[in-house]
Amino acid sequence: MPQGKDKSNSRRKVFKTTPGAKRVVHRIARKPSVHKCAECGNELKGIPRLRSSEAHNTAKTKKRPERPYGGYLCSACARKRIIQETRRS
Amino acid sequence: MFEIGRICVKIAGRDSGLKAVIVEVVDSFTVLIDGQTRRRKCNVKHLEPTKEVIKIKKGASHEEVVSEFKKLKIEIIETTPKTKKSEKPVKQKSKKEAPVKGKASAPKKEAEPKPKVKAASVKAEKPVAEKKEEVSEPVVKKD
Repeated sequence: MPQGKDKSNSRRKVFKTTPGAKRVVHRIARKPSVHKCAECGNELKGIPRLRSSEAHNTAKTKKRPERPYGGYLCSACARKRIIQETRRS
Repeated sequence: MFEIGRICVKIAGRDSGLKAVIVEVVDSFTVLIDGQTRRRKCNVKHLEPTKEVIKIKKGASHEEVVSEFKKLKIEIIETTPKTKKSEKPVKQKSKKEAPVKGKASAPKKEAEPKPKVKAASVKAEKPVAEKKEEVSEPVVKKD
């Protein structure tokens, strides 16, 4: 019988073939969802998909791009917003 | 639009959102900028021009730009350049050791025939004399 934690869907299935040509199910922890741009909804680049415990130990500079709106807007949307700000002022 | 003295806002990269002045026009599409950003060449596509224009010389130094920015009340945060981690102590040790060996080896060569005679007579001094010769030989090759 599989253990209780392996029966739930909190860990995803991975099917592997053994050297003896058997098909085995491995259970792996799920990754958190992809971070998305707040304006256009596109995938944000340069942001690793880390669990909170993993993110806790990684440097701040490795978790988002170092520009205004980094980690919140994609580069194209951030560029648009900076242009708007300069033209208003 | 992109002439010398025009104040721009950088749009792209890690300096984006910071103000800079055009110090020099390099090509039809590249300019040299300085100010809140690092002093660097920049594509015109990565700049958004503002209405303000300053009177500065072509190729003005960073200090001149800072003094002009103070008049406009734009703060510039000065950063110290990175210093490379030097391995000087390690190099000094190797340099110090080399001349000491050379000095020690030079007089031994002159006095080589004498210890051989002594070594033959006294057995206890043999290994000491041999060791010194071994050390001296590789040093001479390096020189």
